[in-house]
Amino acid sequence: MAAYVGLVASIFPSIESSPDFSELVENYPDILKSLFGLAEGGDITSGAGYLDVELFSLMLPLLVLVLAIGSGTRTFAGEEDAGRLELVLSYPVRRRDAVLAKGAAVATEIVLVSAVAGIAIALFDPVVGLELSFARLGAAVASLAALGVFHGWLALAVGATVPSRALAIGVPAGVAAAGYLVNGLHGLAGWLDPFRFLSPFWLVGSSPLQNGIDAWGAVVVLAAAVAVLGAGSLLVERRDLQTP
Amino acid sequence: MLEPAAIETFGLSKTYGKKVRALVGLDLRVEAGEVFGYLGPNGAGKSTTIRLLLGLLRPTEGRAALFGLDTSRDGVASRRRVGYLPGDLRLADRLTGKEQLESLARLRGSVDSGFRDELCERLGAVLDRPIRQLSKGNRQKIGLVQAFMDHPDLVVLDEPTAGLDPLLQAEVRALLRETAAAGGTVFLSSHSLDEVQHTADRVGIIRSGRLVDVDSVESLRERSLRHVTVTLAEPVDPGYLAQLDGVRVVRVEGSTLRLSAPETAMDALVKALASHTVLDLVSEPADLEEIFLELYREADDGS
Repeated sequence: MAAYVGLVASIFPSIESSPDFSELVENYPDILKSLFGLAEGGDITSGAGYLDVELFSLMLPLLVLVLAIGSGTRTFAGEEDAGRLELVLSYPVRRRDAVLAKGAAVATEIVLVSAVAGIAIALFDPVVGLELSFARLGAAVASLAALGVFHGWLALAVGATVPSRALAIGVPAGVAAAGYLVNGLHGLAGWLDPFRFLSPFWLVGSSPLQNGIDAWGAVVVLAAAVAVLGAGSLLVERRDLQTP
Repeated sequence: MLEPAAIETFGLSKTYGKKVRALVGLDLRVEAGEVFGYLGPNGAGKSTTIRLLLGLLRPTEGRAALFGLDTSRDGVASRRRVGYLPGDLRLADRLTGKEQLESLARLRGSVDSGFRDELCERLGAVLDRPIRQLSKGNRQKIGLVQAFMDHPDLVVLDEPTAGLDPLLQAEVRALLRETAAAGGTVFLSSHSLDEVQHTADRVGIIRSGRLVDVDSVESLRERSLRHVTVTLAEPVDPGYLAQLDGVRVVRVEGSTLRLSAPETAMDALVKALASHTVLDLVSEPADLEEIFLELYREADDGS
């Protein structure tokens, strides 16, 4: 992750000094510009604009979400699938508490990884002259973590509610893909517009380094994450534990 | 007031999906301090019963209590008094035995680590290597240690000696007897009568999800048949053997006789055979399936 951030950042000086690059991007089809947050008058030759497009529009959310969904799935659905939950839950442990403890571990992992990405970017800032606002960088990393926690807890909660590893991966992955596309395309496809409120990506806002994030949107995403985890921790009590 | 039983179930039933009736109306009472063997062939509902007792499964009907604590409503409190060895033990493969035991001990709060170390030494558990490198027998030792390490009032063991060599099987039996002698209760599931007959006071027999019989080990053994194959120096008319109580002549092949006899008739049988020259004599316990058939026959006769 840090290596990828470094690679992307190290290319920035050549982009910045190339006047043709803006023109090239101008000629991209609207659908790509919309997906990568290029349509809002951003400037890809500024440090903030460049990282918004190269990292925060797709790659960082993708990396963090893959990690979050993987971690959320593994910790309950994966352990149940492997038969390892049977012994643990035969101990004097409330299932609800086990789910919440696993939720805390998943969130910690996501926050750490997001922070590593943020720190890597901050370290490259003086080296390649990105001239970022650290407040905005911090907010961008926070919104990244919020997205990760929501999808990671969704994976955990689905796995806690139904004994299916496939659903524990599939539901949050589907929600993430739908949320991402709705956020990227609602401006172009009018029928998607009413659904933009349901997209976590739309709620936290695009191009965080140039535009800042929507703090209330991030709060809504986190509240939804808490609600999902809470539901999972209640529903897990009702069902049978599966054994392989 | 009566002291609550270690295990008590009331019409406990479990149906998987809509059709598979894994357990039907189980009414069972195991007193505190008892070693109870739970016998049945694979798929009879033994593990289902155990998982219901531990709150891993929710009953379709009925309920169960451990020491008077309902396994659904007071699940955590009831499990605090139980040590459990699953039939299909899955441990955290990446941890070492020591790390696994410590991680499990934290789930209980505090564990008498002196007793834990003593158990590890006694069973010869391998503690310093990742569990994925251990043989099935060595994993089973870790499983046994974690089941006993907190001095539980009730130990529930699902096929505990699977994968262990005979010396260790004897060690496990000794451990069970000591637990009972110290006032603990043992619930031991097995598909082999041999495994439980040395330790259990009483045995419950389950088949197709129904409890067929609960009896003391002695009376079960008295009723259980032995297969006796005897080779004599010359062919003999086996008619006189069939007159012995409970003995049946199954087949005659020249001078080799195949008989079935309850254990109580063995002495009379051997003495009767001794009037001839015996070349060979093999006596084998009937397997559980045959004991079931015998039990069903008795049940049918009774009705």
